[in-house]
Amino acid sequence: MNEKIAVLMGGKSLEREVSLMSGKRVCDALEAEGYRVLALDVTPELVATLRSERPDAVYIALHGKYGEDGTVQELLEFLGIPYTGPGVVASAFAWDKALSKRLFVADGIPTPPWVTFTAAAFKQMGAATALDLVPGAVGGFPVVVKPSKQGSALGLTKVDDAAGLAEALLTALSYGDTVIVEKWIDGCELAVSVVNDRGGQARVFPPVEIEPKSGLFDFTAMYTAGETDYYVPARLDDVTTTAVTELAARVHTLLGCERISRVDMVVAEDGTPYVLEVNTSPGMTETSLLPMAAAAEGLDFQKLVAHLVRSILEDAK
Amino acid sequence: MGTARVVFDRWDDRYAKRMADVRSSAVRDLFAAATRPDMISFSGGMPEIRRVPIDSVISAATSALRDSGTEALQYGSSEGRPKIRQVVVDLMGEIGVRVKADDLVITAGAQQALDLMAKIFLDPGDVIITEGPTYLGALQAFSAYQPNVVCIPMDAEGMRTDLLEEQLKRLGPRGAKFIYTIPNFQNPAGVTLTPQRRRELLDLARVYDIPVIEDDPYGRLRFEGGHCLPLRALDDEVIYLGTFSKIFAPGLRLGWVIAPKPILAKFVLAKQAADLCGSSFAQTTAERYFADTRWRKVLQDLTGAYAERRDTMIEALAEHFPAEATWTVPEGGFFVWVEMPAFLDLKSILAEAVERGVTYVPGDAFFPDGRGRNCMRLGFCYAEPDAIREGIQRLAEVLEDRLELYRAFANAGVLPVDDADGRG
Repeated sequence: MNEKIAVLMGGKSLEREVSLMSGKRVCDALEAEGYRVLALDVTPELVATLRSERPDAVYIALHGKYGEDGTVQELLEFLGIPYTGPGVVASAFAWDKALSKRLFVADGIPTPPWVTFTAAAFKQMGAATALDLVPGAVGGFPVVVKPSKQGSALGLTKVDDAAGLAEALLTALSYGDTVIVEKWIDGCELAVSVVNDRGGQARVFPPVEIEPKSGLFDFTAMYTAGETDYYVPARLDDVTTTAVTELAARVHTLLGCERISRVDMVVAEDGTPYVLEVNTSPGMTETSLLPMAAAAEGLDFQKLVAHLVRSILEDAK
Repeated sequence: MGTARVVFDRWDDRYAKRMADVRSSAVRDLFAAATRPDMISFSGGMPEIRRVPIDSVISAATSALRDSGTEALQYGSSEGRPKIRQVVVDLMGEIGVRVKADDLVITAGAQQALDLMAKIFLDPGDVIITEGPTYLGALQAFSAYQPNVVCIPMDAEGMRTDLLEEQLKRLGPRGAKFIYTIPNFQNPAGVTLTPQRRRELLDLARVYDIPVIEDDPYGRLRFEGGHCLPLRALDDEVIYLGTFSKIFAPGLRLGWVIAPKPILAKFVLAKQAADLCGSSFAQTTAERYFADTRWRKVLQDLTGAYAERRDTMIEALAEHFPAEATWTVPEGGFFVWVEMPAFLDLKSILAEAVERGVTYVPGDAFFPDGRGRNCMRLGFCYAEPDAIREGIQRLAEVLEDRLELYRAFANAGVLPVDDADGRG
C-alpha cells in the first residue's frame, strides 16, 4: 500500500495564504506521485487527527511563526512522525534573524552590519532616545528595517535617512517584538537553494538572481507576477558563482539544516557576497525561488517534492 | 550555461498605464492572512444575509422562471425592465423622492453606476470633490479615469460645507466635474449630513454649477432619529444612486441611478457599451420578491439586528478602548469610525491585530492621499454581538500595547512632538 503523507498548511501565521498556495501545489504533486495525501490545516484538532490518521510522514508546507520556528517540528518529534525540512534547532536558529546573524559572524561568514532592538527596550528602557547612534553603528544609510522573526519580507522597509527610521521600526515591531536594522548593501540579490541528496550530501542549486522593479524585494514584489525579474542562473562570473555556492553550503551546514534550506544573499558591487538570512521552509508557490532553482537543474516540481518525501521515509526506516 | 530570465506574465509590458497603480497592497496581504476561521472581522461591509428568508427568494426566483421564463432568460432593455423600475419608483416615493420610471436606469449594483458616472464625466486630471474619508470602492472606480480628488473633511453633521465653499471658491465656477457624497451614515465615517447642511451643499452646487452625485446605500437602515430627505428630494438635478444590496441581497447585483434626462441618456450609452443590459433574471426575481410585502418585515428585522450590533460595539468601545480614542456613533448603516492620536499608524498596527485574531480597515484606505492613518473603520454589520465584544477587547489590547510603544518614540522626540498628546 502507498504511504500516507499529511501536508500541513495554512495555520494562523501572517503567511497563511502563501502557505495554502504552497500546500495545494505540494498535495497535487504528491497525489500525482501516487501517495495517499491528507491536507491538514493547523487547528486545535491537529494532534488528534494525526494520531488517528497515523500518516507515514508529514510534509510541512507551513510558513511563518509556529510553522518554521521549531514549534511544529518539536511536536512532530514528540508524536514520532517523520517530517520534511530541517529539525528543531536549525529551524529555531534560522527563524530568528538576529540570532542567525550572530552565528554567521562567529563563523566568519560575511553578513551586513546590523543592530537589534526589542519592543521592551523601547517601552521600558528608553531605547528610542538612542536612534541617533544607529547610522554610526551599522555604517550609515540606507538601512533595511525588518522584524527579526517573520517571513515573506513582511514588515520590511528600506530607510534612506534618519527621518524615516522611527516609523520603519514601529512598522516592523507590529510584526514581532524584535527588529533588526541592517546596513543596505547595493548589489545583486540572490536566493541560493540547498537540498540534500539521497546520500545526505548538500547539493546547491544554481543561484537565482532577484531584480525587483521597485528596487525592494518586499511582499508585493515577491507574490505579484511581473513585479520582479528573476534570472536563473544568476548573471555572475564563474568565480563569484563558485563563491556563493560554497557559501550557501557552508551556511546550510553551520545551522544544521538537514534536507533543505534557501540562503538569501546579496553580492556587493565589489564582488563580496553577504548572507542575509536562511529559510528552512522555503515557499513552494508558482513564483517561489526554490522550485525555480530546482527546475533550472532539471528537477521539476513534482520530482522535487517526491525527493523531499522519499528521503525522510527512507531515513525513517 | 546561459542565463534564462524567468517570465511569469509575458504580457506585463502591454497593460494600460492606468493599471500601473492597481497592485497588491500591504493591507491586502494582511487580509489574506485574515481568512483563518477564528478571525473576528470588522473589516467587511457585508450585510447579514442569513436573515433574508431563503424560501421567499426561492419562490420569487421560481415564479420568475415559471411565469416569465422567456423574458427572464432573454436580453432586456438597457434601462432595465419596466416592472423593476416601478418597484424603484415606489421605494423612492417612500423616502420622499417623486420620480417616474423613465427617470431612472437599473444598474449592476450601485458600483456599476459609480464606474459609468466616472466614465461619462471624467478626463484624466479632472477635479472631483468627495468627502474625506470616503467610500473605498468609489475611489477605486474613479481612479481608473485618473481624476484629481479633492477631499472635504466632515464633522458630526457631515461634510463641512464651509470648507466645501472654500474649495469651490478656489476652483471657481464649474471647477469640479462633480461632488460625490454619501449623506446617510456615511461610509466609512458613520456620520449623517444634517438637513441644514444638505441645503447648503445644494446651494453651493447650484452657485458653482457642479453636479451632485448622492450615493445612498444605507438610507433605509436607520436605527433612530428622524428621516432626512434625500438631496434628490430637495433638488431634481441631483444624481441619485440606490441599491438593492442592503434592503434585499448583494448577490443579485441590482442598483439604480436617477439622473436628469440628458445625463441618463449619456449614461445608457455607456451602460450599453459595458454590458448591453442588466440581468433580466435578477430583475424579474427582485420584482417578485418586492411584490410580496414580507420584505418590509425582513428589512425591519435586519435593521433591528444592525442596531443591536451597533449598540454592542459602542458599549464595548466605551468599556475597553484607550482614553485617547474617539469614535462616531452612527444612527444607522454599517460603520463606526475611530480616531486615535495622530502619532499612531493604524496601518502598521494591523499586522499585530491580525495576529491577535481581529481585523479592521486602516483609515488611509479611504483617502486618496495617505491621510487617515491614525483612523480605522469598524464594521459592526457582520459579526454577532458576542464576537463584537470579544473583537473590540482584543483590539483594545493591541492598541494599549502599541500606544505604550508609540509614546516611547514620541517622548524621545523621534515622532512629531506636537501630536504626542493626541487629540483624544
